[in-house]
Amino acid sequence: GSEVVRNRHHIEAVGIGDPQRFAGLADPARFALGDRVRVRNLPAMFYTRTPEYVRGARGTIAELAYESPAPEDETWDREDAKPEWFYIVRFNQTELWESYTGPANDTLQTEIPERWLEPA
Amino acid sequence: MHDHDHARTVKPMVDEITDFEVLEIALRELCIEKGLFTAEQHRHLTEFAEQIGPTAAARLVAKAWLDPQFKALALNDPIAACRQVGVDWLEPTGFGTPSDFVAFKILEDTPTVHHVICCALCSCYPRPILGNSPEWYRTPNYRRRIVRWPRQVLSEFGLQLAEGVEVRVEDSNQKHRFMVMPMRPAGTEGWTEDQLAEILTRDSLIGVSLPKPGVTTNVITKARPANNPISSSGAPS
Repeated sequence: GSEVVRNRHHIEAVGIGDPQRFAGLADPARFALGDRVRVRNLPAMFYTRTPEYVRGARGTIAELAYESPAPEDETWDREDAKPEWFYIVRFNQTELWESYTGPANDTLQTEIPERWLEPA
Repeated sequence: MHDHDHARTVKPMVDEITDFEVLEIALRELCIEKGLFTAEQHRHLTEFAEQIGPTAAARLVAKAWLDPQFKALALNDPIAACRQVGVDWLEPTGFGTPSDFVAFKILEDTPTVHHVICCALCSCYPRPILGNSPEWYRTPNYRRRIVRWPRQVLSEFGLQLAEGVEVRVEDSNQKHRFMVMPMRPAGTEGWTEDQLAEILTRDSLIGVSLPKPGVTTNVITKARPANNPISSSGAPS
């Protein structure tokens, strides 16, 4: 069964887990905890997992999450997709919604792959 | 007009089968026939889905409330902490469930931060430790509104938080799954782990309610009945 293409994921991840199987395969992380970043507005035709509501917004790196291929590649099973770092980014709600009605210190966190981020 | 005997009219042998059920059977039988998975694997996954529930998650938080060392483990290595309450995130495939992954994080509430989880893109949920997600959690309504009007949505659940408390929405849109560790409420001094676990409802671990002495069930919502519900034996009734 090791030659069967659809068994590849199982064989590589069994006993380790996903995303643990991608550990060590990404380039060094470009951002560190506490860095200010801005979410890029990349084309997102057919598939993305970076929500529209964070595009262009500035946030702070709250955690280096793990290494994994980006969902934009993984969802189409791109074999040459290189894993990259994922970050949990913290946004201030007033930065996301022009008409945010809650207190100024409310926040939202979401996870974003490195390709979507640039220094703020 | 002939004399029609209604008492002898033939009744259908089975209840009405929906399109969904017809397609489910067609798909499952084709997959098994083509060897994509076996009938045994299908049963194995169904059994896994039937034994998960919020009990282990409640136990984990109760333990953390009572044991600072375990709490530190829960926050720093949540996958290892889960093993101590009988949940192995590598189950049932050996590499985790294909949709919940093996990246779990526990969000600790403090007097100044309250967390609430959602999946705006679909319904991602920490199933191995918290069981299946509630129906409302999957609705476009909750997913659309909680990220933008969290305080209004929480107040619909009966939860009002002071202005000084930062409400932090965690949108699980990638491989991480999240669970809230609420603060231990007053009035629980000297309680056992069992007593504490009882008030840690599913809702309080999602973040739409706070644990409260005497409250051991979720917010009561109108449950919409299924056409063909899963019976307590696990088989369709």
